[in-house]
Amino acid sequence: MTDLQAPETLARPLATRVAGLPEAAVMPAGAPIPDVVIAAAVAALEQGKTHYTDRPGILGLRQWVSDTLKGTAQINLKPGDITITCGSTEARFVTFKRLLKPGETILCPGDSSRILGAAHLIGLSIVTTAADPTAVRLVYLTPDVPAAERDSLLTQAAAHQWWVLWDISAASSDFHPAQNTALAPRVITVGSLSPMMPGWRVGWMGGSEMADKLRAYKQSMTICTTSISQWAGIGAVVP
Amino acid sequence: MTASNIPESVRAVAADGTQLRYALMELSAQYPDAIALGRGDPDLATPPHIIEAVKLAVRDQRTAPTPVAGMTALREALAHKFQTDNGLPVDADNIMLTTGGQEGLFLLMQTLLDPGDEVLVPDPRYTSYDEAIESAGGRMVMIPTDHEDAFNLRPEAVESAITPRTKALLIVTPSNPTSGIVTEERLRGIAEVAIKHNLIVISDEIYEKFLYDGWKHFSIGSLPGMAERTITLNGFSKTYAMTGFRCGFAAAPKNFIRAMTNVKAVTTGPVATISQWAGLAALNGPKEPIETFHRIYSERRRLMMDGLLSMGLSFSDPRGAFFLWTNSSSVGIHATELSYLLLKEGRVLIFPGTGFGENWGGYLRISILQNTDLLHEALERMRPIINRYRAAH
Repeated sequence: MTDLQAPETLARPLATRVAGLPEAAVMPAGAPIPDVVIAAAVAALEQGKTHYTDRPGILGLRQWVSDTLKGTAQINLKPGDITITCGSTEARFVTFKRLLKPGETILCPGDSSRILGAAHLIGLSIVTTAADPTAVRLVYLTPDVPAAERDSLLTQAAAHQWWVLWDISAASSDFHPAQNTALAPRVITVGSLSPMMPGWRVGWMGGSEMADKLRAYKQSMTICTTSISQWAGIGAVVP
Repeated sequence: MTASNIPESVRAVAADGTQLRYALMELSAQYPDAIALGRGDPDLATPPHIIEAVKLAVRDQRTAPTPVAGMTALREALAHKFQTDNGLPVDADNIMLTTGGQEGLFLLMQTLLDPGDEVLVPDPRYTSYDEAIESAGGRMVMIPTDHEDAFNLRPEAVESAITPRTKALLIVTPSNPTSGIVTEERLRGIAEVAIKHNLIVISDEIYEKFLYDGWKHFSIGSLPGMAERTITLNGFSKTYAMTGFRCGFAAAPKNFIRAMTNVKAVTTGPVATISQWAGLAALNGPKEPIETFHRIYSERRRLMMDGLLSMGLSFSDPRGAFFLWTNSSSVGIHATELSYLLLKEGRVLIFPGTGFGENWGGYLRISILQNTDLLHEALERMRPIINRYRAAH
């Protein structure tokens, strides 16, 4: 075979935004998949659930997300406000892409490794402190951020109309920014089943006044999340 | 459009082809007896050897994340497929997996387009192309195609639309929504234009296995001087009736694949591993299921063509894919309203042409993805509605 490359005569073969993206790395394998996940996947395969699901994702899984947020953090999100995504990676990207414009700023007081690539692709800046709160458009928070710092930032989020992305894909919490009902319309929650079943690509995003728009954008990227993965996910989380 | 009786949920999104289609699908879900001739989701079962291969992989715990571009064995099998089926000079490093064909297009536009770059797109078109292009800051430039020419793409129409900002040309063959194809002769002419003007060509070939009446699929990337400027998009969804696995693939020069892979890593991550095992089983398994599917679709296509002709409805020559791009202008009402009435009064879901571009209010896209009994029933439900509104106008 030839070493097939794009012709050098193309002045700009690639978009400017792809320069500087991190090289794609393999995700960690994780622990063996629980038997309940395997059983649910096999059952779904035998039942022929191999076609598109509804665009938001299967209702049972969205209901589980809704029930879980209610149970752990007393947050009322209807299944209709929740979308199943291809891992939390897609959920974070969709949130940034749909809510922010190139040149805008994300405030990330903690670990930014999960958002660096998406921010670069979209043309967003990441800052660790809000030196100029009026320049910030979204604050990215995880349960790892110390409570005092988190609460201070959420106060600023309310004052300056920031979006809040609350990422519980790696750790859960009984705290939730949307417990402040004034903030709730601007809070997007992102989660993942990957800690239990990496490689199946099941995550979710929920909430905010933009939930429908986020869902539509996800649909435009990948239509829906892998059907068998979603059914297996129900096996993982629903008793 | 006399849209007074169309519900707000549909009317509000009528200018957005994609949202219009989804609004109609959601409306259709309210009617349990509706016959869906809308979405391009094959109703046939995924072949059993694919199901068994995935079950085995799951039981063997072979579900860990793969490299973002996809597992090597599958990329090698796809390279072989592109060499033998399509004549493309590629190896595994020219291949990546995508989370469905639609994501392939999204990744590609993010990888290629800077704001203001133009992409030439045949009209009518699957409007998800719009979102992928606009999301990257690009601009669509429509290339007209027409009924009398079976919606074949003309090289001179392509060339006349080129500007200094034109970066790429999108070819979709066979086409969704028209089921037309771009013939080999036209592709040779288009390749000359692409080389002359130094364009990148994106060739969406996801319906390549379903051509009829002796028409043959041809890949523009196989022509001299084209492989290095062509990105070929395809997927398993349509060929193997496995839309829910979300497994597509792309063949392209290595620098494009590497960049697209890096974009995929930060937007969706790798394709689900189980879906890749499904794809590998599909490629390495028997070909009889494709032949069976083809025979079934051919029968349905003939049934639907005869039924529409008997209602006085014409359609462009459906040389491939799963659709009949049907001229409904003789009915006398706008296609969006007609689609709504067919759903409300006849319980048949059909997408209006406006779901595929604003200029197509005189067309319907009718899919053949139901069994023949349901297609018969759908035609019988449509007939009195078509006749009634035609007589009233």
